[in-house]
Amino acid sequence: MGGIAKGSECDVMEKSNHEVIILGVETSCDETSAAVLVNGTELRSHVISSQIMTHQKYGGVVPEIASREHSLHLQPVVQQALDEAMMTFKDLSAIAVTYGPGLVGSLLVGVSGAKAMAYAAGVPLIGINHLEAHIYANFLPHQDIEFPLLALLVSGGHTHLIFFEAHGQYKILGRTRDDAAGEALDKVARTLGLGYPGGPQIQRIAQEGDAQAFKFPRAMLEPDSLDFSFSGMKSAVLNTLNSARMRGETLSVPDIAASFQQAVVDVLVRKTMLAIKRTRVKTLLLAGGVAANSLLRQTLSETLGKQSVRLVYPPPILCTDNGAMIATAGYYHYLAGDFAPWTLNAVPGLNLT
Amino acid sequence: MKYLTIDTTTKVTAVALAEDGRLVGEGFLHTSRTHSERIIPMLDQLLTAADWSLQELDMIGVVRGPGSFTGIRIGIATAQGLAQVLKLPLIAVVSLDTLAWAGLGRTEDIVPLLDARKNEWYTARYRWTRGEEKAECLTPPQALPKDQWLEQLRVLDRPICFVGDAIAKAKVQIEEVLGERALILPDYINLPRGAYAVQAVWQRWQETGVGERVEPYYIRFSEAEVNWAKKEEARRSEGHE
Ligand SMILES: [Zn+2]
Repeated sequence: MGGIAKGSECDVMEKSNHEVIILGVETSCDETSAAVLVNGTELRSHVISSQIMTHQKYGGVVPEIASREHSLHLQPVVQQALDEAMMTFKDLSAIAVTYGPGLVGSLLVGVSGAKAMAYAAGVPLIGINHLEAHIYANFLPHQDIEFPLLALLVSGGHTHLIFFEAHGQYKILGRTRDDAAGEALDKVARTLGLGYPGGPQIQRIAQEGDAQAFKFPRAMLEPDSLDFSFSGMKSAVLNTLNSARMRGETLSVPDIAASFQQAVVDVLVRKTMLAIKRTRVKTLLLAGGVAANSLLRQTLSETLGKQSVRLVYPPPILCTDNGAMIATAGYYHYLAGDFAPWTLNAVPGLNLT
Repeated sequence: MKYLTIDTTTKVTAVALAEDGRLVGEGFLHTSRTHSERIIPMLDQLLTAADWSLQELDMIGVVRGPGSFTGIRIGIATAQGLAQVLKLPLIAVVSLDTLAWAGLGRTEDIVPLLDARKNEWYTARYRWTRGEEKAECLTPPQALPKDQWLEQLRVLDRPICFVGDAIAKAKVQIEEVLGERALILPDYINLPRGAYAVQAVWQRWQETGVGERVEPYYIRFSEAEVNWAKKEEARRSEGHE
């Protein structure tokens, strides 16, 4: 990109205070959020403006409307975060912003705004991978997490097992080959008429069901593989429902939900245990929307307890999309001196590599 | 009074520096790169070349649409971010009004055409009168089907000077309908330039004298909103039967 971009790592050394103060900005999907974080541990403010109500009447997130909402809310949300933290742009050490993955139009609002703010404030810009930030949400309430560790990232778009040797040094051990776990839960929930988002609905209705009522398959792939496959499991549920309908039978929705949830959790837990055995880590981090599933948490904590492996997961507010996790990930990038150039662009398909 | 302007409502990234309505420097890029990659580096380069610092600025101007939805938002987010940190007043102008400056001093009516997809243009009509400091807006900004707008212009029976990024593709169609009454200016005049935004922003600043809360000017609702409204309409009329 020519020689015109000086990059954003200007003036880092000129900051007189020794505190590291990061403004985190998140606009990848349907939440406009900003947070001010001091030294990676003290969350001074956290503002989340959710668009859920706006998108509800369309039955899902509409990208163009999401972008329009971010455009209206970014500036007031950032200002509120600074005001609540009783800070100005002058106090900041850096500005961290999500640049992917996500909706391109939404990402561009945050990236453009954060870039202009960092440039005008004379502080470095930090580009954050949203998936990495979900994992880093764990480091905000738990500063005593020890490496090496394993992270299980489960959401509507992703199912990853990731080995972290140290901050910023990670390797993907396994990923889904088809549907993400959350995606499979959503699709089954929709077929059962449980509405959106599907994960929490399945969990709610499963409490009234028998998890042993149906024997759905557990797709394990090759014996040594840490990859996942949820598409066949989802199809098994749909086939069961279809053939029952043809026979004129009605199946118990709570039983189906409970049995399917159990099958998904069984696969997640078994693969995770295999990865732990292989890497010999003593810590497991949970991240992503499905990390909030209580059966998953409970099963993991029981299984891990026996092996004295520590299970860490973020509080509910940090499981959603939020600026605090961006600021947390940003803090560790700041320490590593890992800054973005002024040419930073949105990367909607960004993955963990 | 020193200010900068940003126009990213089309595929052109246009950034300019100005003082009291006088153009000091401008950046113009019409390549395949995105605004997001170009805008801050371009601004940084201009400031360095002009030996200006951000702290010397007194105002930020931005073109708020109509045009590319994403481009509009990138321009506004950038201008707002700069203004928020530097605590500067923000001034917003309309892309079509801005393009009218491309036809300053012409006796023909000035008609900007911006690509609105779906076989439509974002357009308006202006006229410069000798001695006046501002083009008069005769037809306000709107999104119109191409053939319908050309027919309206044909009926006017006046010479018309076309500007805007949609011209290149529309030349044949325009000349077919308007023949000799159509004047099409070359690319380097037609496309949004920082120089035009500098004029439009300065004019608005002189009218208002204060900064404003800037919102995107899309003209169009999003497709999802339009479809939802149609469904609602259908549902309501069924209910009345
Ligand atoms: Zn997320």
